[in-house]
Formats: sequence, structure tokens, C-alpha cells
Amino acid sequence: MTWLGGWLRELILVVLLAAFVEMLLPSKSMERYARLVLSLLVLLTLLSPIVALLKGDVTGELSLAMNQQEKKGGVFSGAGKGAGSLEKILADGRVLAAGAQEQSLKLAAEEVAGQMRNQIAGITGVQGAKVTVTLGMGKASDTTQGEAVPVIASVKVSFPPAVSASGSGSGPAAGTTTGSPSEPIVITPVEPVQVNLGSDTDEDSAAASATSSPDIPEGSSATPGKGTDQDQTESIIKLLEQNWNLSREVIQVQKSTAGEAKL
Amino acid sequence: MEIIQVVGIGLLSTVLILVLKEQKPMFAFLLTTAAGILIFLFLIGKIGTILGTLERVAESSGMEMIYIKTVFKIIGISYIAEFGAQIVRDAGQESIASKIELAGKVLIMVLAVPIISIIIETVMKLLPA
Repeated sequence: MTWLGGWLRELILVVLLAAFVEMLLPSKSMERYARLVLSLLVLLTLLSPIVALLKGDVTGELSLAMNQQEKKGGVFSGAGKGAGSLEKILADGRVLAAGAQEQSLKLAAEEVAGQMRNQIAGITGVQGAKVTVTLGMGKASDTTQGEAVPVIASVKVSFPPAVSASGSGSGPAAGTTTGSPSEPIVITPVEPVQVNLGSDTDEDSAAASATSSPDIPEGSSATPGKGTDQDQTESIIKLLEQNWNLSREVIQVQKSTAGEAKL
Repeated sequence: MEIIQVVGIGLLSTVLILVLKEQKPMFAFLLTTAAGILIFLFLIGKIGTILGTLERVAESSGMEMIYIKTVFKIIGISYIAEFGAQIVRDAGQESIASKIELAGKVLIMVLAVPIISIIIETVMKLLPA
């Protein structure tokens, strides 16, 4: 019974409104047309229970159609252009957001690289290692959610040859390596350096952890320079693997002059 | 008392226009337009009051807003078209005035299209297939 009351009230209101609006109209020439639209409205209100039964939401459909009309506009209305510019603005926003993300990734990568460098210097004792971290957006391996998170795409560590890694203590040895970079990297100048490295790390290991210090004297005693480099590479990779939860493929360690160990 | 102001503006501008028309017909036309706009602006506040009352009543009684929106559009289109057509007619361009009126009529009819389509669809569903 309540819907009947509501329907009647709406009907009366629409009829009153139509009568009132007809008086408001300025000229006779428009009156016929306006009357047609108003009578259609009255008819729709009369039929509204049936229409609701057969078609569902009448007013929603009507307002949708009106909005579409408004959006289309005429020749002179800038409605279409406005929509285009809105899309353009949104696209610009996306581009700007992507740029900001890239920038933040770069910053984060620098930060991560700095931390890695400190860890490498502290734990393995390799001073002056150059760490380049590339971050990318991707799915995290441990989460199943679809959202993209920044992940470490690649880590490139290049450390100076053992000579300079040994520190500033061995001036002449470092001089010889840098003096003739390509040929005389012959292992001869490297060899005395191993000792220095060992002593250097021994000094450092007071502060650093014990993981590298046993390795290096071992390497220096057992195998010549190449082996120590391998050990260093290995220890750096292991460190990064453990501390940063990285897989082996993304870590790339190389000596800054010639030797490259890509794992 | 506002009606006296309106009539005063109208009479004054009519006398001025009649005087001016002999010397400078162009300025007479401008004066006509200005007087028309002045009276229209005078009235637009009152029209706003009426429409505001209508809207409030419709809102409080739970009438669908889309109906009242349509009605307001009709009123707006007819007022603007009428006003523009009369200004153009005063300037002696009867044909352009009738085009403006035509545009007003078409735009009012366009408002009826969604309503007509809904009614026709309902009727077609009512009929046995």
C-alpha cells in the first residue's frame, strides 16, 4: 500500500510541476514542444510501476541516457575535447608517476649498493669494491599477490685487483700494476700482494666477522693470486646471497681490471 | 515594486531608442539589447527563486531528480532561445531569429528521446509477441 501512496504522490507532483512550468515558459512557439516533453514525463510517471516491473531501474536508465547526451554535446560544445584532455591529463599523470617510481628505484638502488659495499668491506675485507645494483619492478618470489614490488634485478660487483684491495700499505706494488695495465698483470706482482692482503685482513678482522679471514690466509698459502681472487669472489657472492636473499644468477662479480668471474 | 523599476527601465529605453533611431540606428540597436539584458538579469534572480522552491519541494517529497532536471532543462532552453531570438529579431534579422527558435525546439525534443524510448520499449514488452 505504501508504494501506491508514493506513486500517487509522485504523479500529483509531476502534474503540478508540469502545469507550473508551462506557465513559466516564455513564448507560445516553444509551448507545444515543452508540453510534449512534460506530458511524456507524466506518462512515464503513470507507467512507472509497469515499467519497473518490466525493465527494472527506470530512472537509472534515464539518467544514463541523459548523461550520454550531455557528454556527446553539439558541434560547439567542447565536451568531447574536454574528455580527451582529461585522458591526456591522466596519461601525463601516469608518465609522471612512472618517472617518480624510476627515480625512487634509482635512489633505493644507490642505497642498497652502499650497504652492500659496506658489508663487503666489513666482512670480506675487500676495500674499494664498486657495487652497482639494478632494481626492477617484479613479483616477489615469496609472495603470491599480484602486485609488483621492487626486486633486485642484478648486482654487479667489481673490486679492484688484490693489489689495490690490499690497501694503501703496498705502494710500489700498486704502482706496478697501474703502470702497465694490460701485459704485466703477470702474476708476479700480484704474488707479494697476497701477503699484504692477508695481513691487511688480519688487521681488519678485528672489527670484521670471521668468515673471510680464515679463507684468505688459506688461499694465500695454498694457491697463488688467482685462487685468492676466486675466494674473494666466492665469499662476496656468498655474502650477498645470504644477506640479501639473492639468487646466484643476479650476482656478477668481476675484477675491475681484467679478470671476470661471472657466476 | 520591482515591476515599476522594470517598466521604468523599459519606458526610458524606449524613449531613448526612438530619439536615437533617427540619428544612429546602430546605437539604438545596442541600447535595445542592453535594455533587454538588463531586464532579463533583473528577472533571473526571481526565476532562480522559483526553480529553487520547485527543487526543494521535489526533493522533500522524494520525486525522482531526473524528472526535475529535465524540466529545468526545458525551461532554460526555452528562455535562452527566446531571448536570443528576440534580440536578433529586433535587429531586423527575422530569418536568423527563426533559426534560433528552431534550435531551441529541436533541443527540447532531444530531451524527450530517452523518455520516449523507455515508454515505447515498455509498451512493446506489454504487447504479446
